[in-house]
Amino acid sequence: MRPGRIAVTGIGSFLGSRLLRRLAEKHGADRIVAVDVAAPPRGLAVRHREIDLAKPGSDQRLLESFRDEDVGAIFHAAFFTSPRRDTGYAHELESIGTLNLFAAAAAAGVGHVVLRSFTALYGASGQNPAFLTEDRPLQPDPSLRWARDKLEAEQHAASFTRRYPDMKVTVLRFAPLFGPKVQNFYTAIFDRRVVPVVMGYDPLLQLLHPDDALAAAEAALEKAPRGPINVVPKTPMPLLTAVHLAGRIPAPVPHALAYMIGDLLWATGLGAAPGAFAHYARFGFVADGERAQRELGFAPRNSSRDAVVAYMAYRKPRVAASRAEARA
Amino acid sequence: MSSPAKVVPFRPERRPAPKRRRQRHAKRRAPGADPVSLESLARLWSRFYFAWHSEEVDEFGYDPKFTETVLPFFEFLYAVWWRVDASGIENVPRTGPALIVANHSGVLPWDGIMINLAVRHEHPARRACRMLALDMFALLPFLAPMLAQSGAVRANPENAERLLRKGELVGVFPEGVKGVGKRFKDRYKLARFGRGGFVRIALRTGAPIVPCAVVGAEEIHPALAQMSWLGKPLGLPYVPITPTFPLLGPLGFVPLPSKWSIEMGEPIPMDGYGPDGADDPMLVNRLSERVRTTIQGMIDERLAHRKSVWFG
Repeated sequence: MRPGRIAVTGIGSFLGSRLLRRLAEKHGADRIVAVDVAAPPRGLAVRHREIDLAKPGSDQRLLESFRDEDVGAIFHAAFFTSPRRDTGYAHELESIGTLNLFAAAAAAGVGHVVLRSFTALYGASGQNPAFLTEDRPLQPDPSLRWARDKLEAEQHAASFTRRYPDMKVTVLRFAPLFGPKVQNFYTAIFDRRVVPVVMGYDPLLQLLHPDDALAAAEAALEKAPRGPINVVPKTPMPLLTAVHLAGRIPAPVPHALAYMIGDLLWATGLGAAPGAFAHYARFGFVADGERAQRELGFAPRNSSRDAVVAYMAYRKPRVAASRAEARA
Repeated sequence: MSSPAKVVPFRPERRPAPKRRRQRHAKRRAPGADPVSLESLARLWSRFYFAWHSEEVDEFGYDPKFTETVLPFFEFLYAVWWRVDASGIENVPRTGPALIVANHSGVLPWDGIMINLAVRHEHPARRACRMLALDMFALLPFLAPMLAQSGAVRANPENAERLLRKGELVGVFPEGVKGVGKRFKDRYKLARFGRGGFVRIALRTGAPIVPCAVVGAEEIHPALAQMSWLGKPLGLPYVPITPTFPLLGPLGFVPLPSKWSIEMGEPIPMDGYGPDGADDPMLVNRLSERVRTTIQGMIDERLAHRKSVWFG
């Protein structure tokens, strides 16, 4: 077993909370430190350090905590999976918070940091190859602050990797999570009866089942590889297939209008994401999972289709059951 | 330094609708009783969609059920409309990777579909050929998803190499836009073969190159002139004026029924040069030129024997 405790940030996020529970079961609650403004769930006796990463001076408090708790590895999951309207706070937490965290980790001599990242950072573009490998430059739409803050977090991670070669930094680029109990903008969009799509486009989409995401996160903490690694489902699926599989009605919007309408809905509070997210409904950002297989020994068990089916069985048990019956 | 505890939730909690409301809902409307509800519409639509789409596609988006649905139409074009005369199909290896390199023509990528059918129907191993589609087709709304579902892949080196390493048969048109959009007066004159990217991929993977000459496709949409002023705002590299387009409106999209021939030449082995050959620009250019002249020769010979555009 690795010396030192494992710290998990962002325990309010889906991945953070599930990982916290899993690690507590595996290593014992005393070996796990939750670093978050929110308290860990009652009944989970993990250690807790109440630190707001977005606040100035948090690096000093992080450093003290890491030293006091003898932290040997960190899983940094304090990121917003959905776009937010208070972009200022999101920037402070995601970009500056990551900077603070890495500074403290380097100063405390933490041996291994795992950064939770997103395949969406590759950017959805028609120029993308069918499978994006980890050495592909990250080029999200610059107007998308949701992606920009996360891109900055990755850049901070890369710069600390260069400056502190002793610190192992793993960057896990997860495909969008989709499955029971996940809440992000994909689930928000699929919870509506009518799903807006871009007319004439049907990109391939990777939806990652939460079980696979957790397995990869655990493997990363165990094996401590260096550099970015894509965590993706077994196979991608076309967006429209996902919409129909979920029993939703696609509402095609011409791409010339999609960005404007998206921004309008977002501004009025009706939309789940700003207009620039229409890129992700037009073009694919399918990542290659070969490196995860090689370096983590991680093979996803679920395809994107499995993720959608599992989510629907959770959200709409009645509909899912009747569908399964009809198929049988 | 220590601040009082303050809980900032990551996101407002959203729970599923309360049970009570759901049950009332269910009581009011028995399943299937209300024919115009959104739910039944979604169910109908989904049933219609999956009648001709698979629930799972391969990693490049190939959808076997969709292909099966549109195949009869393409087979009609192949056998009746263009009466394709395929020869030399046995030059395509029975197994393992190979790169079919063909001349591109005909404004719309019909020639790719026909090469695909020729291999599918006339090759003893019934191999499927993955065509590499130009960006302009692979990114065009409506056409793009259809191409992907019928097995085409956007043309770029990464995709081609991945397919060949999997041992698949890949078809490519190195002329690209310059070929498919050439004017009628330039017909059957091969344009430059890009920058030899296809040779580099073949060298790196050791896949043999099968030269392929398509005759007849140049006449399906004879482009008399190009309206580049219209293409630019639409994001298209060319908008041709043909005898039927734009004069006859949508009818202009109907290709003329010329007589086609598709001929596969002897495979050119690539494994003798080793993967390092891909980094030798002179070798790449030489091989690229060799493939180009081979195809040009096959086309010229076929044209010399052709008596009629419509009957061969």
